[in-house]
Amino acid sequence: MTADRLQTYGPTAALLALAAVFAVLSPQFRTLGNLQNLLDAGAVLAVVTIGATYVLLLGCIDLSAAGVMGACALAVSLLVANSRTALDLGPLGVLLVVALGAAFGCLSGALSVGLKVPSFMTTLGVSAIGLGVATVLFAGVQPAVSDPWLLQWASGRWLGFTRVTYLAAAVVVLAWLVQRHTRLGRYATAIGGGEDILRLSGIQVGRYKVGAFTVAGACYGLAAAMVTAQLGSGIVQAGAGLSFAAITAAVVGGTQLAGGRGGIAHSMVGVLILTVLANGLVLIGVSPYVQRAVQGVIVVVAVGATLWPLRHRLEVVK
Amino acid sequence: MTTFRATLALLTTGTLLLTACGGTGSGSGATTAAQAPGGACKPEEVKLIGQVRNQTNPYEAAWLQGGDEFAKKVSLTQQRLTYDGESAKQQEQIRQVLATGNVRCSVLNVLPNGDSDTTPIVKQAQAAGAYVVTQWNKPADLKPADYDKWIAHITYDGKESGKQIAHALITAIGGNGGIVALQGILDTAAAKDRFAGLQAALAEHPEVTLLDQQTADFDRAKALTLTKTLLTKHGDAIKGIWAANDDMALGALQALEAAGKSGKVAVVGIDAVPDAIKAVSGGTMTATVSSDGPWQGGIGLAMGYCAATGQLDVSTIPTRAFFAKQFLITKDNAAQFATPKVDPAEFECANLFKRATGPIS
Repeated sequence: MTADRLQTYGPTAALLALAAVFAVLSPQFRTLGNLQNLLDAGAVLAVVTIGATYVLLLGCIDLSAAGVMGACALAVSLLVANSRTALDLGPLGVLLVVALGAAFGCLSGALSVGLKVPSFMTTLGVSAIGLGVATVLFAGVQPAVSDPWLLQWASGRWLGFTRVTYLAAAVVVLAWLVQRHTRLGRYATAIGGGEDILRLSGIQVGRYKVGAFTVAGACYGLAAAMVTAQLGSGIVQAGAGLSFAAITAAVVGGTQLAGGRGGIAHSMVGVLILTVLANGLVLIGVSPYVQRAVQGVIVVVAVGATLWPLRHRLEVVK
Repeated sequence: MTTFRATLALLTTGTLLLTACGGTGSGSGATTAAQAPGGACKPEEVKLIGQVRNQTNPYEAAWLQGGDEFAKKVSLTQQRLTYDGESAKQQEQIRQVLATGNVRCSVLNVLPNGDSDTTPIVKQAQAAGAYVVTQWNKPADLKPADYDKWIAHITYDGKESGKQIAHALITAIGGNGGIVALQGILDTAAAKDRFAGLQAALAEHPEVTLLDQQTADFDRAKALTLTKTLLTKHGDAIKGIWAANDDMALGALQALEAAGKSGKVAVVGIDAVPDAIKAVSGGTMTATVSSDGPWQGGIGLAMGYCAATGQLDVSTIPTRAFFAKQFLITKDNAAQFATPKVDPAEFECANLFKRATGPIS
C-alpha cells in the first residue's frame, strides 16, 4: 500500500475498527437508534469542521468559531419567534444569520490577507469581536426560541433521522462538490500546496483566500442556527471549544495543518471518529474520570499510526 | 537564545517582585488597621465594585443587577467588572481599582475565578486598605479571620444542594427505579460536593439505583448529546436525571423532548437560572436550587459599605467564612422566584449575616 493511499484510507480503517470494537462490546452501540443518535450528535461538529477544513486547506488556521457562533446563535434566536423580540422572520432569520457568519469570515480573511497577519491571530480577534457582539445581544436575558419551524430541526424526524442530520448531510455533499468542481475549492487546495507558485502564475490568491474564510464563516453561522434549534435558546457559549474540536477532527481524518492535503471527505471521517469515540466510550461504560484521557490516547494513536509511513516525506512539521 | 535568556530574566524578576509584594502585603495591612479603624468614610465617599466572570449568563447578570439595586438604595453606583473567566485578567482589574481613587473607602464584592485566585485578591485588598468580600471560591487554609479588610467569604453547601434535589428527584419517581447523573467539571469542588450529596441521598434510598454517571462539564450542548447517548444505553429504565447544574438539566430536557419523553422523566438541577425556573413552573423539570444571585451581588457591597461607614465592626463578626442559605425551588414556589428581586431590608447593617447557616468546615 502506498503512503498516499494509506493517508486516504487509514482514518477510514481506524473508524471502522473503532466501530467494530464498540459493536462487539456494546449491544446498544449496534442499534439503528444509536446510529440516528450518532449522526445527530455529529451534525453540528460536521458543519463547523467543513468551514475549518476550507481554511486548513489554505494552510491557515481558523479559531473564530466560538465567537462567530456565539454572535450568530444570539442573532438567530432574536430574529426568529422568541421570548424577547417581536420579530418572527423564520427561514429568513436563518439566512440572515448565515450571512452574518459569512461577514465575520470575510472580515477574518480580509484582515489576514490585507494586513498579512497570521490567520490564527486575526481569527482569534474576530472570535473576541463575535463574543462581544453576543454579549451585547444577550443583555442579561437568555432568549428562548419559540419558532416551531426552527425547533423542528432538532425534534422533527424523517425516517428516524433528525432534520439537523439531513441538513448536515446536505452541507457535506455541497461542500464536497464545491471543493471538487469549483475554482474556489480547487484553488484552496492549490494555495495550501504552494501559494507562491500560484501567485507567480498570476492568480489572485488573496481573493480566493478571503472566499474560503467567508465560506467558513457561513458554515459557523449555519452551525449556530443548528445548535440553537437543538438547545431551544440562544446561548453565548454555543460554539465554545468547537474550533479546536473541528481542527482535531480535520487532522484526525487526514486533512493536514500545513495545508494542501486532505479535504471534506477526510475531515468528515475525522468527525465520525470523534463522535463514535465519545458515544462508544459512554456505551461500553468507561468511567467518566478516565474517559477524556482514553479519548486523547486513541486520537494520538490513530493519527500517529496513520502518519507513520509518511514521516519521512513530511519533513517539515509545524 | 537571547530571547530565551531575556524571558528567563523577566520571569525571575516577576517572581521576585511577586514575593516582595506578598511580603509587604501582610505587613502594611497591620499598620493600616492601626492608623484608621473602620468607619472613616462618609457614605458618599464609598466606591462600590462588583466583579464577576462575565455578563453572558443569567446568574452573573442577576448578581450584578443585585449589586446595582443595593447601590441605588444608598444613592451610589456600582462599578461593574467582568474578567471573562481569565484569572490573569481578574488580578489585573483588581490591581487597577486598588491603584485609583480613595482606596480606603473602596468596597469589592468579588467572585474569584478559582480557589487560588482568592489569595492574591485578599492580600492586595488588605495591603491597599480596601474592603473585600469573596464568594464561592477560596483555598481551605485561607481564613478571613486573619485579615481585617477581608470582611467575609460566602459560599454554599454543595453537598446539601446536591442532596436536596436528589430527594426531590427520588420523591418524583415514586421512591424507586433507575436514575442517571450528569456531573459537572470533575475536578471542581462544586461538582464533587454536589455529587457527594447525591450519593448521600442514594444511600438513604437503596431502592433507587444510579444506572450511570457521566460528566457533561456543566455545559448545555454536551449534556444534550450525552443524555441522548444515555437514553440509547438505558432506554426506559431511566426514570430520573440528576444534573449538577441547570444548564445540563436544560440540555437533558431538550434531549428528552427530541426523544418524545418530555415530562415522562423527572429532571433536577442546581442554580435556578430563569429557563430552569420556567421549566419547573411548567412541570417539565422537578426542582432546582437557588443561591439567590441578586442577594449575592448586593450583600457583599452592603457588608463593605457598612464596614466603611462605621456601622459594622468587622472584628465583632462571629463567623466570617460561612455557608449561606439556599432555596429549593419546586412547582409550589417557582412563581415567587420567577422574577429575581432583592429585599432591601436584608441589606440593612443589622441583617447582613441573617442568611448564614453555619461556618465552612
